[in-house]
Amino acid sequence: MSVTTKTRLGWAIAAVLVLGYSLFPVVAIFANSFKTPGDLGNQRFWPTSWTLANYEMIFVGQAQELFLTALRNSIGITLIATFIAVVLATLCAYAIARLDFPGKRLVLGAALAVSIFPVISVVTPLFNVWRQIGLYDTWLGLIIPYLSLTLPISIWTLSAFFRQIPWDLELAAQVDGATQWQAFRKAIVPLAAPGVFTTAIIAFFIAWNDFVYGISLTSTEAARPVPAALAFFTGASQFEQPTGAISAAAIVVTIPVVVLVLLFQRQIVSGLTQGAVKG
Amino acid sequence: MKGRTAGAAVAVGALLLTGCGTDDGTPVLTWYINPDDGGQQALADQCTEEADGAYRIQTSLLPNDAPDQREQLARRLAAGDSSLDIMSIDPPFIPELAEPGFLAPVPDDVAERTTEDTLDGALAGAMWKDEIVTVPFWANTQILWYRESVAEAAGLDMSQPVTWEEIIDAVREQDKYISIQGVRAESMTVWVNALVESQEESILVDPAASAEDLETTLDSDAGRMAAEIISVIGQDRLAGPGVASMDENQGMLMFQRDHGSFMVNWPFVWAATNAAAEDGSIESDVPDDVGWAPYPRVDAETPAAAPLGGINLGVGIDSEHHDLAYEAIECIVQPENQAEYFVTNGNPPSSESAFDDPRIEEDYPMADVIREALDEAAPRPQTPYYNEISEVIQDEFTPISGIDPDRAPQRADTFIGEVLRGERLL
Amino acid sequence: MTDTVKSAPASRRQREKPKKSERARAETRLGWILAGPAFVIMLAVTAYPIGQAVFDSLYSFRLTAPDDRSFVFLDNYILLFTDWGFWRPFLVTVLITVVTVAVELVLGFALALVMHRALKSLRGLLRTAILVPYGIITVVSAFAWYYMFDINSGFVNNWFSWLPGISDELDWFSNFGTAVTVIMASEIWKTTPFIALLLLAGLAQVPDELVEAAKVDGATRWQQFYRVTVPNMKAAIMVAVLFRALDAFRIFDNVFIMTGGEANTEVLALLAYRQSISRLEIGLGSAVSVVLFACVLLICFVAIKLFKVDLASGTDAGGGKAKKGGKG
Repeated sequence: MSVTTKTRLGWAIAAVLVLGYSLFPVVAIFANSFKTPGDLGNQRFWPTSWTLANYEMIFVGQAQELFLTALRNSIGITLIATFIAVVLATLCAYAIARLDFPGKRLVLGAALAVSIFPVISVVTPLFNVWRQIGLYDTWLGLIIPYLSLTLPISIWTLSAFFRQIPWDLELAAQVDGATQWQAFRKAIVPLAAPGVFTTAIIAFFIAWNDFVYGISLTSTEAARPVPAALAFFTGASQFEQPTGAISAAAIVVTIPVVVLVLLFQRQIVSGLTQGAVKG
Repeated sequence: MKGRTAGAAVAVGALLLTGCGTDDGTPVLTWYINPDDGGQQALADQCTEEADGAYRIQTSLLPNDAPDQREQLARRLAAGDSSLDIMSIDPPFIPELAEPGFLAPVPDDVAERTTEDTLDGALAGAMWKDEIVTVPFWANTQILWYRESVAEAAGLDMSQPVTWEEIIDAVREQDKYISIQGVRAESMTVWVNALVESQEESILVDPAASAEDLETTLDSDAGRMAAEIISVIGQDRLAGPGVASMDENQGMLMFQRDHGSFMVNWPFVWAATNAAAEDGSIESDVPDDVGWAPYPRVDAETPAAAPLGGINLGVGIDSEHHDLAYEAIECIVQPENQAEYFVTNGNPPSSESAFDDPRIEEDYPMADVIREALDEAAPRPQTPYYNEISEVIQDEFTPISGIDPDRAPQRADTFIGEVLRGERLL
Repeated sequence: MTDTVKSAPASRRQREKPKKSERARAETRLGWILAGPAFVIMLAVTAYPIGQAVFDSLYSFRLTAPDDRSFVFLDNYILLFTDWGFWRPFLVTVLITVVTVAVELVLGFALALVMHRALKSLRGLLRTAILVPYGIITVVSAFAWYYMFDINSGFVNNWFSWLPGISDELDWFSNFGTAVTVIMASEIWKTTPFIALLLLAGLAQVPDELVEAAKVDGATRWQQFYRVTVPNMKAAIMVAVLFRALDAFRIFDNVFIMTGGEANTEVLALLAYRQSISRLEIGLGSAVSVVLFACVLLICFVAIKLFKVDLASGTDAGGGKAKKGGKG
């Protein structure tokens, strides 16, 4: 009995440590977001008096235009990019998991190579092309590069998922007279849907996180996403530090992340571990 | 099936992208504004109304820092963006945009009308190669702010011009901190340039020189003197522990608190300090203790050349509405509007007559000091390579606790030359 | 690796049998129809720009002086390689990569072990918690850490003033050692969960019997871990380390937000950004970009050739039908 108690205590401590590790910086910026300008200079962790002024500033106040348009851009661009990436990656991963065709290794190699690509290396040429064809500072001008971030990991994760699907079902459907395409749609899609969904979450995280494309390929609120906009916040006067507003905005953009994590923890973990290492 | 949905998504995206446009055919002028307290937006609305359908001005916000604003504008101009109808530009970056022809020429009559009574310092910032390339909108300058209690205790007669040396001695003696801008940023170049110009010297020999031939003269008595003043403040920790991150705002916050003594800063600090006293974040009697004087002198006999800041308005070459844009600019920069802008946003006019507005005297009792400083103020080095020069100065003169006043200026000169000749990385 | 070996004869077999060729052609066509769009987009957004960057890097070209563009061949590279202004960020990047990956490996192992062994009731909670740093925006992480340590608003100086060297007057971001420490802390915090999850997957594959057997043989816990667990998950470790190293070498967001490269904390990605975006020197910036890309390729190449990291294992490059017979 005492051993169990001891083990329990040990696990409790471990859990507290892990929770502390994971959440401490988030709580710190959370606390900042409720501070008054005076509290922001007093070097304490918690606010002495809690205020919603920072949230007011970004939602209805002076930073409203900057933040809300950026939020709309971020949500729109990220969702569209995620959607396209998942659709294309699903097709691609199906081909990789299911078909034998020359060039398969090339596709996989390309996915690998693209995933290690330094984004900073391509922004300048992309900027030049984008300004010539009019994609600079547009949604599409960010959606396309975001695909290069989200496609590789989507292809990987989905390939791993698809390998686990009992493809005999498809074969059975084909025997019943369906074409390969129909068989895929009718028999496999329902089974693959959870994997596709997980991939979408991971792709969303990646696109949501982008900063380099965001600051390099936009210049106004027409397309500037939130991470880039955070660097543009201003205080009450030209020279004042916008610490409170940035903290509030940071918390707002962290909410979707936390919600997704809370709801889909299991799927995200399995997606990440399967996609990356098989062993 | 999947393909079709993907296509639909792209179509939806495209729809969102092209969603905006005017409904009534009124030409829309986009004004790229630097962050302020909403004054430019108000002027945009006001002039839209006055235009009575001739045009409509919408604003678009630029980043916080002047160098970031330049970066955005330069990239958009190079991209041939036709939406750059009106741009709020910080004067030091005007030559870089004027030289490659990114700015639409200012019509002679507009130039004449808008610069009739522009203060000299502000006018100098609007020129490139002897031509007016932008229209002055507001002008800024730093003055010396001081805590009357400290100055009194130190026995300084603030009705007479004071020197950096006197201030430094007073701060040391009273065990206080002086508020300067020690952060590695544009403000460092502002400071160095003011110190050099206050000795009637200039950092640039020939502003119009090409990259290969551009020479700077920091390695001179004036340059070394400037470095000496900065290094004394840095090495003796006279600006407090946070000097390496002290910008205009941090300097002001320190000035408002117990260690505050003297501060060189822009006029925004007056409104901000009063506001802070009102909302209780500082002692309510602090504003009563604040005094002001002209920018400190380097040499007791030579009048100081205070830093010059501000915003000028330019028109992008690819804008489709040059004439309307200049029409709108004329509306924006009317002296009444400049006065209004000062009162509401704390940014002083570039036009002399705007200072006559009675509201200014009421809200900014130091307006006279500011106006005089603006006449004497000296622009920062005007060259298309200002950005490089400024970066090197920031590099060599920070952290201010570690500069060697004998060698830093010389290193800066060499560094600037090498960078501009493409021999060294910045 | 076994899959790869098996797939080769499989495809050869197909080619030898003419009656299958019609089917094979159809399969190839379908394969490319399905995989093609993703492939083309990935290449279009990376291969073309990097080619352009290589081209641009041979020119002296400033965006605000479009008429002065001139061919300078390798001058930009020579300038880089002979300038401390390049080597310093290079070394800082290497330092950050080495330290963060090493710390993350240790920390990630600890987290993975905790998650692996944790009581069922805790597992979900722990995994959810560590996914928060994984999912959070890097820029947000950078701001969070920045504000904690900032001399004006941070509480760290206040809380830890009893430690020697820390006081109200410590400006963390004004000198290299402290600044780079905070930068690395943020990077480590944000990315350790990723490495921990990869290691967790590796741990799951270590057969329990082996650990049990070692226990029976009287091995201590440490010996069980070091002699049995680690060697059996070598592949997972190598892949995790390589991925993190490649990622760390491209570090940008944290440095950009926290110091902007001040206090000598500039890294290669930031150098590239500053040259091409801030200075608008497209030629020079492209040269830095190309060098950064070459470094990443080099790391990858060394890992694969020298350490035999099998990156393709995860995507099952051997793939498809051969696989079914192969592992089943």
